[in-house]
Amino acid sequence: MLVQAAGLTIHALDRVDLQRIAQAREVSARAFGIWRTMLLAPPDRRRPLLEEADLPPGLAATLDREPAVVPGLPPPPPHLLRLFRVEALMGGPPRFRPRDTLTGMRGDRMLVSLRLPDGDWLNLAIRLTPPRPWHSETFLAAFALMTVAAMGLILWATRRLTRPVRQLAEAADRLGRDVNAPPLPEDGPREVATAAHAFNTMAGRIRRFVQDRTQMLAAISHDLRTPITRMRLRAEFVEDEELRAKMLADLAEMEAMVNASLAFAREESASEPTVPLDLAALARTVLDEAVDSGEAGAEAVSYAGPERLTVRARPVALKRALANLVQNALRYGGVARIRIEPQPGGVVRLIVEDDGPGIPAEALETVFQPFRRLEDSRNRETGGTGLGLAIARNILRAHGGDVALENRPGGGLSAVVTLPG
Amino acid sequence: MEQTQHILIVDDDREIRDLLGRFLERQGFRVSLARDAREARRLWPLGHYHLIVLDLMLPGETGLDLARWLRGQSNVPIVMLTAMGEETDRIVGLELGADDYVPKPFNPRELLARIRAVLRRAGGEGGERAREPPARLIRFAGWTLEPARRRLTDPQGAEVPLTGGEYELLNVLVERPNRVLTRDMLMDLLHGRQAGPFDRAIDVAVSRLRRKLEDDGRNPSLIKTVRGGGYVLAATVERVS
Ligand SMILES: Nc1ncnc2c1ncn2[C@@H]1O[C@H](COP(=O)(O)OP(=O)(O)O)[C@@H](O)[C@H]1O
Ligand SMILES: [Mg+2]
Repeated sequence: MLVQAAGLTIHALDRVDLQRIAQAREVSARAFGIWRTMLLAPPDRRRPLLEEADLPPGLAATLDREPAVVPGLPPPPPHLLRLFRVEALMGGPPRFRPRDTLTGMRGDRMLVSLRLPDGDWLNLAIRLTPPRPWHSETFLAAFALMTVAAMGLILWATRRLTRPVRQLAEAADRLGRDVNAPPLPEDGPREVATAAHAFNTMAGRIRRFVQDRTQMLAAISHDLRTPITRMRLRAEFVEDEELRAKMLADLAEMEAMVNASLAFAREESASEPTVPLDLAALARTVLDEAVDSGEAGAEAVSYAGPERLTVRARPVALKRALANLVQNALRYGGVARIRIEPQPGGVVRLIVEDDGPGIPAEALETVFQPFRRLEDSRNRETGGTGLGLAIARNILRAHGGDVALENRPGGGLSAVVTLPG
Repeated sequence: MEQTQHILIVDDDREIRDLLGRFLERQGFRVSLARDAREARRLWPLGHYHLIVLDLMLPGETGLDLARWLRGQSNVPIVMLTAMGEETDRIVGLELGADDYVPKPFNPRELLARIRAVLRRAGGEGGERAREPPARLIRFAGWTLEPARRRLTDPQGAEVPLTGGEYELLNVLVERPNRVLTRDMLMDLLHGRQAGPFDRAIDVAVSRLRRKLEDDGRNPSLIKTVRGGGYVLAATVERVS
């Protein structure tokens, strides 16, 4: 921008100079021409000829008995004399040389009085029209046009230069959320292509690493199902009631972990089709099932929101996401209240609230990491894998939405789900 | 129980097979065991089975193939054992005409409850009419029920999720449209027991289901309340195979 302004100024000043020189040239040429005409014309023709002459702006000529330059006028500055080549007038061939030449300044005008051979004076008044580069209409238009063009050019150039960097930053951000994000295009200038290639290689390694680990997780979880089934059956033959109940409780917990791990590893949602789904009915179903399974008393759950609200979603996956949030609210907060708030613009907010202790502010994000559980939940007798929130977030992000946790001012936690309409 | 009912268990895991057999025997069933589809075919003509418990993950010929073959032979009720997450197997199995499924790792008591419910349904209807071929879609009053996916769709085409209890209730209702079902009958069909004097479970389930079906609870037009304690589904039910 600075360069642009400087360029324009130089251009403007240049223009001023050029304009001055051009004007001076014309004025002096015409002045010389008039002098020659006066000199060559018979004395009685001089006046009409002078009247007919079409003089350029800044030049006035009169024929008088007396010189316009009277003694006492300040002499014109040498650069003006040079500019108008007054000396050329005076120093022409002897035939054309005036008998007398007087010069002086009156105001902003330079007066030149030339004496004809018969004693009359040709008085020339030369005024420099102050060049006003910033006022000319065409100049203004040109200036505006150039500014816009230059700005456009600069923007385009900087964008072009920074685009690969921005794309790289965006790709890194995407990779952070989703290891299966599409690779960067490896084209453009050589340095950019090299960087993109290096990035894609790195993303590939991370992806393989994550895939290996999730496959291992899936394999282990899968293989655990047969022994869990056997142990369940064996537990049925244990005579000691109390022992049997404990074994079954342990097994139920193990099964929940296996199921959560499988759900996390598999991303079941990926293969499920997206269909129109009544979100209000889904919310009530999740709450009622928590009551039916004995996780909560009927008074511990409530729903507030529209009777019906159709969204596009993958029903099984979305149900799992909501069930995880409701389960947390009940497990750590004693109650689960769901509110659905359709927002202007089609976005839907669904909030799962509880009356529990909430989560320390610095852990509100980290609990979304797989296997992350807070200290007191680990010590408490609440079974859990630390995958519930990670799974919920995966699913909601795959829906183009998200989930975030907030501590409520009055105590308790809110899980705020957003879904595109 | 009128007579000892005979169950054929098909599972490739010896321990699970034996333990499940012992468990069901203790509950008063007669049990035969098969390790794979071949053995099941061999045993099939040798007994009169009331129900098959079939693991879908069999070596060699799959459980689905065996289910298809069994359907060709008879209407014997089939309860499938499926791996959690194997959605498609489960859906194909139910569409083939299996009666229910229990995901592995299963809870033996849950399996027992399902076995009893399936036997009850099969036995209860058996005398009156032959078992109908399984319906792929059941339509009533603009709504669509898809048994294989346990899915209800509203007249505008949006899926309306149901709890397990709501689904079971709706399923019982659409199987007997325009017939009065007392609370006791519903309790028996759904839970295999009589409704107690304080048992509100059925009423709760009905009022939840009405809300899902947009049936005004105070003036219901779809699931009507019958004086003297019962309900009736007032709708024409169309079954699409
Ligand atoms: N509603 C809640 N109130 C308090 N703490 C919570 C709540 N929900 C989740 N947390 C904390 O976040 C952790 C992670 O939750 P989650 O991913 O569902 O795993 P899990 O419930 O299996 O531990 C929990 O262990 C718990 O410490
Ligand atoms: Mg949890």
